[in-house]
Amino acid sequence: MGDSVVSGSGRRSGRGRDAAGGAGTSALTIWASRLFIAVVLIYLFAPVVVTVLFSFTTSPRLSLPIEGVTLDWYRKAFADPLFTTALNNSLVLAVVTAVVSVTLGVTFSFGMARLSARTRGPLLTASLLPAAVPALVLGVALAVFFTALNRPPGLVNAAIGHILVALPFVILTLNARLETFDFSVTEAARDLGASPLRTFRDITFPIMRPSVIGAALLAMALSIDEFVVTWFTIGNQQTLPVLIWGLLRRGIDPTVNALATVVLVSLVFLVVLSSLLSRRRS
Amino acid sequence: MSEAAVRVVGVKKQFGDQAVLHGIDLDVAPNEFVSLLGPSGCGKTTLLRIIAGFEQASAGRVEVAGTDVTGMPPHKRPTNLVFQRGALFPHMTVAENIGYSLKLRGWPKARIGARVDELLVLVRLDGLGGRAPTHLSGGQIQRAALARALAPQPTVLLLDEPLSALDLKLRQHMQLELRALQRQLAATFIYVTHDQTEALVMSDRIAIMNAGRLVQVGTPREIYTRPASVFASDFIGETNLVPGIVASVDDGLVTLAAGSVTRLVGRASGAMVIGSTATLSVRPEAIHLTRTDAAVDPGAPVDGHRGQVRQIVYLGARVRVESISSDGITTWTDLRDDEAEGLSPDDWVTLRWAPDAASVWAGGTIGTEA
Repeated sequence: MGDSVVSGSGRRSGRGRDAAGGAGTSALTIWASRLFIAVVLIYLFAPVVVTVLFSFTTSPRLSLPIEGVTLDWYRKAFADPLFTTALNNSLVLAVVTAVVSVTLGVTFSFGMARLSARTRGPLLTASLLPAAVPALVLGVALAVFFTALNRPPGLVNAAIGHILVALPFVILTLNARLETFDFSVTEAARDLGASPLRTFRDITFPIMRPSVIGAALLAMALSIDEFVVTWFTIGNQQTLPVLIWGLLRRGIDPTVNALATVVLVSLVFLVVLSSLLSRRRS
Repeated sequence: MSEAAVRVVGVKKQFGDQAVLHGIDLDVAPNEFVSLLGPSGCGKTTLLRIIAGFEQASAGRVEVAGTDVTGMPPHKRPTNLVFQRGALFPHMTVAENIGYSLKLRGWPKARIGARVDELLVLVRLDGLGGRAPTHLSGGQIQRAALARALAPQPTVLLLDEPLSALDLKLRQHMQLELRALQRQLAATFIYVTHDQTEALVMSDRIAIMNAGRLVQVGTPREIYTRPASVFASDFIGETNLVPGIVASVDDGLVTLAAGSVTRLVGRASGAMVIGSTATLSVRPEAIHLTRTDAAVDPGAPVDGHRGQVRQIVYLGARVRVESISSDGITTWTDLRDDEAEGLSPDDWVTLRWAPDAASVWAGGTIGTEA
């Protein structure tokens, strides 16, 4: 954000010269556009900043100015068995979602890469379509489906839901990498004496590894953040988002801010790392 | 007869209902450099991939050093392929690339290292073993790919247009280097290319392919001087193709009537029927050009082929002269710069060539090849 303000002022001086003769860009319009950008950015980030800020303040009520800084809310949260159980559930779901969706996604994408472009196009679209289905519809559909199967709600159902949510994104990430994958290197390995399995182990997988890990991290991030589908499938168990939602119904306790911040930091970390790895080309 | 390094017997290939190869028979002797030459889409790469094991022949079989390898997967064949763009493993160093096949064969580390060093020297990449493939130039990538394919000492080395991505100077240099290397190693090379100069420069024998068939197999000189078909003569080097009617045949020499007055003579390729259509091919550099007095009646019979200069193209080492006869037959003649001195457009000239320097095939210029 700091950068955009700097470059904005830099551009202004240049434009000022260009428009020296015209009535065009007055100082007023420049300040108005700056203000507008600032308002949009504040709108985008204020809720997050406020949440993080209040997770560190001493006052139990949300009020400014801040009276003091403390880590008490985090201590309180981590001492609460509700929180530790929810955190544990979230992590288990995240890992299961990542492992299963990436295994399915890798198999699917590699299989798809061998097909002709005419078959691949519709297949890719079909595999990405669930990402466009509203979470509410998915949640209700899964709840109805599991009831019909007489499956009691719980972590397993939630995991199935999370995999469903994450898989399209995993396929999208892997497919993007495979589009630029040079399959002649796998032929070269075969030619030099490697069996198909050995070729996958020595050549294909190592080249694809950054994208595979990137896709796994993305799946974890989607899982940790998932609320709607989880809420419809997990029954009386809790993940972090479900716990936060439950706590909020009882009024705003600053512990919620601490929990939200924990979720926020882990998501930002996962998403940034994931996009760095997926973008890397060998 | 000594055993062929590679024997291709009746190989056919269909992709869906499209036939790509219509029964190829080819023997490659040990230590021989054979080029598969043809325009794109002629099936040469498919044939190479069938020999390497990446494609399965629809019919026929492939033998390498006497062993039938037709159903064998690529990793079990004693052939190695140099890919068009190198296909080096991007996550390995140059040395790891070259040593990969030896690692697969369970060689101890020290022995792999020694062999890799030897190969790096051979392809003149010594000192670059630790580099990543992304830090190599185009020429270096192909040298590394060559070293990698040579590492397990294949019975036959297959090369799929490995120089096509390089610029002209480097390509010419690498052609000579590859040829020297093949002689030094006494290895068998099968080289796919669409570049006729490349094939002429490097090969012991050239196999010309067109539309899924072998058109002619022979030494570069045989193919250049005695092309087996109109296609071969047009594809290799440059040539004048003149259609006409067979006027007379005498001891293998055909006289061809082209236009109303022009009579051309050449060596017959195959049986000729008087009165049927035929095509004569003569290379621009085989033609001898002399200036003729303009006063001579252009319709009068002369010894040779008369024409009027249309344009003179300067090519540096040579000058190419386009002349057209009174009955409209265009001929290109190559001269040395000094031979062309004083020649100017609209001059009358007489073109002659040794009858053996021209070939005549039955049929027209298009679609006549076997």
